[in-house]
Amino acid sequence: MRGYFRRLPFFTAYIVLNLCQALFLYAIYHHFGHNSMPAYVAGWVSETITLAARVFATVELLRLVLLWYRGIWGLTWRLLACVCPMVLLLIGAFSRSDAPVFVMQVDTGLHVIFAVALVLCLGLIHYYPIRVEPVYKVLLSGFCWYLCARILTNTVLHGYSYAQYIHYWPMWQTLAISSYLLVLILWGSVLSKPLPAMLQRQALLPDSVYTHISPEINDQLQAINRRLMNFWKIEEPPQ
Amino acid sequence: MNYSVAVFASIGLLLLLVMAWLAFSATRKRPEVVRKESRDRECVHISKLPQIKQALADSDFMYLNERGYPALAKRIKKERRRIALNYLACLRVEFEKLLHLARMVAAMSPNVAVAQEIQGLRLNLEFSYRYYLIYFRLVSGVAPLEAIGSLSDMVSTLTIRMETAMNELGERAALGGAELLPHNGGGLDAGG
Repeated sequence: MRGYFRRLPFFTAYIVLNLCQALFLYAIYHHFGHNSMPAYVAGWVSETITLAARVFATVELLRLVLLWYRGIWGLTWRLLACVCPMVLLLIGAFSRSDAPVFVMQVDTGLHVIFAVALVLCLGLIHYYPIRVEPVYKVLLSGFCWYLCARILTNTVLHGYSYAQYIHYWPMWQTLAISSYLLVLILWGSVLSKPLPAMLQRQALLPDSVYTHISPEINDQLQAINRRLMNFWKIEEPPQ
Repeated sequence: MNYSVAVFASIGLLLLLVMAWLAFSATRKRPEVVRKESRDRECVHISKLPQIKQALADSDFMYLNERGYPALAKRIKKERRRIALNYLACLRVEFEKLLHLARMVAAMSPNVAVAQEIQGLRLNLEFSYRYYLIYFRLVSGVAPLEAIGSLSDMVSTLTIRMETAMNELGERAALGGAELLPHNGGGLDAGG
């Protein structure tokens, strides 16, 4: 645990915060009841705090993975800065503003933005030849799985109007907790072994290499594409 | 079920599928590399085309038809298609080599231009689309034989150009790396 806290302080803090949230909510539900206003407020406030902790934990993992790939790290941030507002607009366009589901919509929206950003990062890591330790891959995939499960739970349960039923909230909580438990089991299985040693600093090329070579390669790729495009255009053989 | 639910549920499912694909394709990476390596070996002689071009020439095929050897003509037709498919596969290998080089350079660079990378991705998608279009036309036999014949010219010139370009790029990348290592005290400035 000490080793994890040193290497992954935000991730460890996130796990601890989640446990604290569970204990805190158990006490609140026990004292005020499941359907009371204090329980509702405490639930969503604690959820906001853990969501923020989750963001920090994910950024920490991504930073560890892309530590020596400064260009890709910069590219990732620029892409996220473009994509996230677009997703936000999309969510705004497709959300309902009626009061009973508003908080749930905000929660789903935040999870969607987070999941899109995470999948985009995983896609970039997959696209470029970046060496990722399996343990970090599993941790990031666990976040992604949990986010997708939450999005589906939030939307599908509401879609079938389970909100009308008295068992809606217990059912929603059971599904959310089960998906989180599955992720915890997954994380536990990889974190039972010690973390891999930190990768050594890798040599970077000078800026000029990328500036010169990348456009040249793109020109070559363009040339191949043009050839393929003209594949069916049969030219007269030279006489 | 209202449209809002449908949109969010679709996004959730889509993200889940993309994540599964990323995880699945990562585990399959190794066999692909092995296959690529064997394909590389097959494509080594791609630039030695004059003999193949002669075998693909229309005159032989017409001659056989005129002489009344339909079975042989059919076999040659089949062979031509196979050769065309092999060329197409070699072209893909060359394209992927270049793309891999581009990704390597990007991963090792301290600054990466979004526009360049998006262009590379777009070209990759365009290539894949065209490649499969041509591939299925060749496999299904819709392709005109004249086009198959013209493919030999296309691959020969392209291979020579690519080989030259790859050599140049390799030399320049090596030079760039060599410039760095001894002079700036290992300060490749890779820190996060």
